[in-house]
Amino acid sequence: MLSDEAVPSTEIAVERISMVFGKKDHEVEALRDVSFEIYKNEFVSLLGPSGCGKSTLLRLMADLLEPTSGRITIGQEHPREMRLRRKFGIVFQNPTLFEWRTVKDNIELPLEVFGIKKSEYSKISDQLLEMVGLTPFKHHYPWQLSGGMQQRVAIARALSLDPPILFMDEPFSALDEFTKEKLQLDLLEIKKKTNKTIVFVTHSIPEAVFLSDRVIVLSSHPGRVHSILNMDREEGSPSLVRQSGLFHEMTAAVRKCFYKESDSLDGQMV
Amino acid sequence: MTGRWSRGWSGGAVVALWMVLLLALWEGAAWYIANVAQVTAPASKLPYPHLVLGTLREHFRPLLEQGAITFGNSITGFVIGSAVGCALAVVMSLSRTVEHTLSPYMVASQMVPIIGLAPIVYGIVHDAALSRVLMAGYVTFFPVTINTLRGLQSVKQEQLELMRSYAANTWALYTKLKLKAALPGLFAGLKLSGPLAITASIIVELMGAPDGVGVLMISSLYYGTSQVYMFWSTVLVSVAIGLVLFLLISLAERLITPWQPEFRANGGEPR
Amino acid sequence: MKDLAAVSGQTGGPESSLQPLEPAAPKADIHRGQASRRKFPATFCLPFFFGLMFLLTWQLEGFHRLFRLEHYQLPIPSAIAAAILDNAPMLWSYSLYTGSEILGGCLAGSLLGLIAAAAASFVPRAGRGAITLMASLNAIPIVALAPVMNNWFGDGVASKMAIVSVMTMATMAVSAFKGLRSIEPPYLELMSSYAAGKLQTFAKLRFRSALPAVFTALKINMSTSIIGAIVGEFFISSRGLGFLLSDQIKLANMPLAWSCIVIAAVMGIILYYAVQLAERLAIPWHAAHRRR
Repeated sequence: MLSDEAVPSTEIAVERISMVFGKKDHEVEALRDVSFEIYKNEFVSLLGPSGCGKSTLLRLMADLLEPTSGRITIGQEHPREMRLRRKFGIVFQNPTLFEWRTVKDNIELPLEVFGIKKSEYSKISDQLLEMVGLTPFKHHYPWQLSGGMQQRVAIARALSLDPPILFMDEPFSALDEFTKEKLQLDLLEIKKKTNKTIVFVTHSIPEAVFLSDRVIVLSSHPGRVHSILNMDREEGSPSLVRQSGLFHEMTAAVRKCFYKESDSLDGQMV
Repeated sequence: MTGRWSRGWSGGAVVALWMVLLLALWEGAAWYIANVAQVTAPASKLPYPHLVLGTLREHFRPLLEQGAITFGNSITGFVIGSAVGCALAVVMSLSRTVEHTLSPYMVASQMVPIIGLAPIVYGIVHDAALSRVLMAGYVTFFPVTINTLRGLQSVKQEQLELMRSYAANTWALYTKLKLKAALPGLFAGLKLSGPLAITASIIVELMGAPDGVGVLMISSLYYGTSQVYMFWSTVLVSVAIGLVLFLLISLAERLITPWQPEFRANGGEPR
Repeated sequence: MKDLAAVSGQTGGPESSLQPLEPAAPKADIHRGQASRRKFPATFCLPFFFGLMFLLTWQLEGFHRLFRLEHYQLPIPSAIAAAILDNAPMLWSYSLYTGSEILGGCLAGSLLGLIAAAAASFVPRAGRGAITLMASLNAIPIVALAPVMNNWFGDGVASKMAIVSVMTMATMAVSAFKGLRSIEPPYLELMSSYAAGKLQTFAKLRFRSALPAVFTALKINMSTSIIGAIVGEFFISSRGLGFLLSDQIKLANMPLAWSCIVIAAVMGIILYYAVQLAERLAIPWHAAHRRR
């Protein structure tokens, strides 16, 4: 855990990022002057209401978009360099599985693209299937699976190249509450096993508090960093954490950011 | 990602550029056939486009007049055929029994070579304009029916349930939801069948109608190589008529269904 | 979940409704209660019965009375059947001749269209314009092509194949291009995050998700090809169904002329369902075939 290390090393540095969409007459300012750092092996959530630019921010880190101004570096490199070296995996809100591929074939897609030999990647995908508990379903097609299982496949796929970083864009927000809680526990388990750096976009306060080492709270219109909160994570069984006093304390702390914010918003909107 | 780049550009300029390129290629090929390949009667294989365009300008008035006749008849048939097609699609979407009963025969009807029907229709009605309208209508209805039906059936379950929660009757369901949802499909069908309607009219004209661009075409064929430029002019005119109809439909689509993803400014790019 | 197939296959063509024998995924028609429960006898017997009634009306001169037609204008089914039986060997060999033109031309044209669409999808900015221009090929009346192709390729099979190719190319190019380009953004982002090259994205994503659109175009092309080949023979041939048709119309031998039309229609239906079968084998994941 973070607190054990003396000096955490920076994995992702976001420096004075601004992002404007649209052409001259219809400009929309999505992000204004956003800066923060994400440390190695950390679980960070980007939390905020819709329209705060959290997904945009994730896409900027993943080199799927170019910022209007500012700079992002991942391990001292440009995100493009990291993308070309396949240093991160992505999970979207929708599973985004290829419907003509079976579960196993879907997980192997990045490996194929990377040009790994078939004999090798079959072993990798089998391990990943085991990890997400889908071994019995490996020859099923995506449409034969439930939403939660599909999202597990997507997570396994993102891990298949064993990238040091995992970007997740509201991966559980389309799932029902029970599936969501199960997958959150699974994700923490995966995090413990693989020790990835995870950047997790969400609009759920409890989810962010439950999962993260730190929560970056964004405010909207335009998106700016409101505050960065350290979740002093408790050791112990994660399922107990949800009922702990600290969890409620932290949730309340995060919630306070928004109440202050919404008060001021009310004032502006009148 | 690359989709973004193609949107902003004015599509018309690119099409024009390709057109110029194509003309240049044609000119080059004609020159090659005439001067390098040493073919006998090279003009009958591929005449110079500038000479064809010259003939087109020279005989512009008759070509335009005959073209207008063909165009007018085709449009009438096209509109009737589309109306029938839409009605058929609605009936088929209302009753699965009708859909299953008619589907195989609709496929079969498309396999009937219209050229075979053309002389029969002409023999029955003995009126060039009417048989053109009928044939144009005949080729129009199938693509329109199929695409409209697909559109009607593409309505999402949630949207249907929403309408149901309003206790909407069938009339409201169709006017408020299903017909709107079917519009993109309808236009896809119209774009397919528009040029077909023109082709059908011209075929009727070739079978012995008194007027229309097809008549000019066949008469220029009978007079051998001397009329080769006239022949190619009639081909260009018929292509132009088809393009005009296609563009009119596209324009109507843009005006009537501006909500379609391909008309959006960002073309559905991620936010 | 939004399927790729639903997006890429959205351009028209005979598709969903024309699969009378297949229990598709639950369709959206709650306003009709349980109407979506398809039964085999209903889907098969009704059309059969309808066809039988149609033939009977025709045979008993119902249409002749309705439209005031004479037998020399519209021969009755029994006369057509007799004509087919009398000329079976000739009709068979002509059908093979015309069939080879249809298949050869349709496959060549569709392949060319597919290649054009693939090329255009790599340079979408310029490609879109080229595809639009190609679409105007559809506006060329087939008959105008016949004398030109005769000049270029002689009066053998090749000229008709060329006509069919030109006619089928555009439909395939337009449909396939749309399929190749209308991919939902997250899928492209995914490929991008793997640093997949354009070629890899094409092979693993674009081509696969364009397949439903390709098959739709192929189905449309089958019927176009039949018309093209027959019209082509009408003008340049001394063999084949189209030649026989025009010849017999001139001789006012309508039963034999109508046999050509009937055979062409049967051929078309067979080819249509052959493509449909190929489609099911090639894209078993496609939403239209799913059974849940």
